[in-house]
Amino acid sequence: MNESHQTALSTWLLAMADDQLILAHRNSEWIGHGPILEEDIALANIAQDELGHARLLYELYAALTGDDPDKLVFFRETAVYRSTQFVEYPKGDWAFTMLRQYLFDAAEMVLLTQLVDSTYQPLAQAAAKMRNEELYHYRHSSAWLKRLGLGTAESNQRTQTALDTLWPLAQQLFVPLPAAEFLTTDGVIPPATVWQEAWEQVVRPFLHNCDLAIPTAAAPPTADRAIHSPYLAPLLAEMQEVARFDPEATW
Amino acid sequence: MDTQWPRYEVFKQDSPHKAHEAVGSVHAPDAEMALLQARDVFVRRPSAVSLWVVPETAVFAITAEEIAANPVPPLPPIATHAQTYLVFTKTSQRRSMTFVRHVGEIVAATPQIALQLAMESGRFNEDAVFVWWLVPESAITRSEPGDIDSLFTPAHDKTYRQQSYYGFVSPTRNRK
Amino acid sequence: MQSDPVDTDRLQEFETRIARGEKIEPGDWMPDEYRRQLIRMISQHAHSEVVGMLPEGAWITRAPNLRRKMVLMAKVQDEAGHGQYLYHAAETLGISREEMLAALLNGRAKYSSIFNYPTLTWADVAWIGWLVDGAAIKNQTMLAHCSYGPYSRAMVRICAEETFHYKQGKEMIVHYMSSGTPKQKAMVQDGLNRWWWPMLMMFGPHDTDSPNSPLLIRWGIKTKSNDTLRQEFINEEVPELLALGLTIPDPQLAFNEASGSWEIGPINWDEFWQVVRGNGPMNAERLAARQQAHDNGLWVREAVAAYAAKQQA
Repeated sequence: MNESHQTALSTWLLAMADDQLILAHRNSEWIGHGPILEEDIALANIAQDELGHARLLYELYAALTGDDPDKLVFFRETAVYRSTQFVEYPKGDWAFTMLRQYLFDAAEMVLLTQLVDSTYQPLAQAAAKMRNEELYHYRHSSAWLKRLGLGTAESNQRTQTALDTLWPLAQQLFVPLPAAEFLTTDGVIPPATVWQEAWEQVVRPFLHNCDLAIPTAAAPPTADRAIHSPYLAPLLAEMQEVARFDPEATW
Repeated sequence: MDTQWPRYEVFKQDSPHKAHEAVGSVHAPDAEMALLQARDVFVRRPSAVSLWVVPETAVFAITAEEIAANPVPPLPPIATHAQTYLVFTKTSQRRSMTFVRHVGEIVAATPQIALQLAMESGRFNEDAVFVWWLVPESAITRSEPGDIDSLFTPAHDKTYRQQSYYGFVSPTRNRK
Repeated sequence: MQSDPVDTDRLQEFETRIARGEKIEPGDWMPDEYRRQLIRMISQHAHSEVVGMLPEGAWITRAPNLRRKMVLMAKVQDEAGHGQYLYHAAETLGISREEMLAALLNGRAKYSSIFNYPTLTWADVAWIGWLVDGAAIKNQTMLAHCSYGPYSRAMVRICAEETFHYKQGKEMIVHYMSSGTPKQKAMVQDGLNRWWWPMLMMFGPHDTDSPNSPLLIRWGIKTKSNDTLRQEFINEEVPELLALGLTIPDPQLAFNEASGSWEIGPINWDEFWQVVRGNGPMNAERLAARQQAHDNGLWVREAVAAYAAKQQA
């Protein structure tokens, strides 16, 4: 792999890892506060899986750049994080959390189905491992969404409100990253348009069947992963608090 | 008014050659959710190849002590509406993990008749049974063989949930 | 307590079964007091697991590296799971989870007083693992032999899973004390200063002030007294703590050569009872957090029940 390809790949891996990390953080905030005990356990499981996916992706990134995953997570400034605003938004109510999880799970499932055939072997192997977990996540969040959409008037309304906010934000997931064309032509990752189309084919009919209306305005607030929502900086300040309390220490 | 949802009994099979055992219950709004919740509650560590969930109201449970106090009266065999009941028994007092495990099937019209037939059949070592459970097959929701990879395999990679991951930690013994 | 002659016979039979080492199962005859004591103990134990998620759960988002974050999530997840197993065990005695949660939220039911203390630093997460879970494991190992089948089985499963909780906590303290920075060592000592006494109180009042104990022991629910368990734990852990160069905040702590035991100074039982009665540093916040989760979850539980009802209709 030449240098420009390697840079394109590491840029892409970091973005994917950051999304997993931040979403794991948001989901972990539910542990101890869920609507029923069984769901505290489920959310803790999903958050562990996502953190595990983040770690796998940071390790692939680190193999290319020589960085250390813990340093990347705990000592990187907000401005150089590459998460989407979609995952940065606060956890909101259960409808917001489950809808975001559903949209993300569908995107990840579709992506991993394609990545298991990636020409970059380490990525194909990681994708195969992540995909098992993702199938379960999708089953969990789609089961929830059906119940929230078709449950009571209140649950439908809350889920619709969440969809109005999250649908445009979700589009940022599919914005092609710099120099991504090097990766798509080599078959390392699928083209963003292919990914997005496959996602829409899954989520549009499903949301419709949940009695939810997809907003027509669908432009993300920004296409640039360097521009963050106001929610990321406080999230990172909290996440990095102990590590930065004593940067010399090992924990 | 609060609802914690109905309770579903959970049966777990640890390996293909072992019987399903009752391991506890989950609160779930329906069987589909119960199966997912059973996975999160009872398969955090790798020890399952199959799960069954059953609404607790569908379980007919009776202990040997209850049978001794009120012997099952002979019941006329009713041919109509017979269905398959799964028979579960607890047969040991020794290991505290032993509760009812799946031992076979009986076709009968009611769980009481199924119990009577099970006791008369001689197939279930009835003198050594401490607890009987009879569960209509139609009430069971099962994980599919195709679910193994997504429901049960991931626990194998979560080695940090095992105490063996941490090794032996003792400052006094390390010093010696 | 039992005056009915039939009940006297049954009580004798019941006690004979327990003496034979048989497990009492749901459906079997049991004295009302046995059922009452078990519901009290098991629901209290379940609430302790669920409330116990809060002090450590507050540090999941702040864990200092990816490994610790993963481990802590798994640990707090286990606590939810253990609460779940225990509520199940109590439910087999004829009480519903709705009733148990209502008793927790209105303050009628108790939970372990230790969780009414705050977690102020990351080291507190490590101390909860080593000392609080260590103390809990002593109690739970005993309860795994309990005469009530569902409680005993829950305990066997919990003990098997909980050993990792203890080890991950101890691993941190050992690491911070043996190769940590001065800041880490200071944080660890500060944590021990605050957790030592509340942890010893976890075993409950002295045997002389523990009126239920003789009955619980006779019926095979408990097999060891509070003081016995506490002393075993002290003897096991004090040498380990001292070997790390830690100072135990008890000037009277001394090894008694004759008895082979570490003897401690007096426990401040006034503080214990204050916390039990709801006046500990975090009682109000813990219950408020549970109440908020319960209230915020109400529309969710209703919505999903409504969906299930529609599917059945």
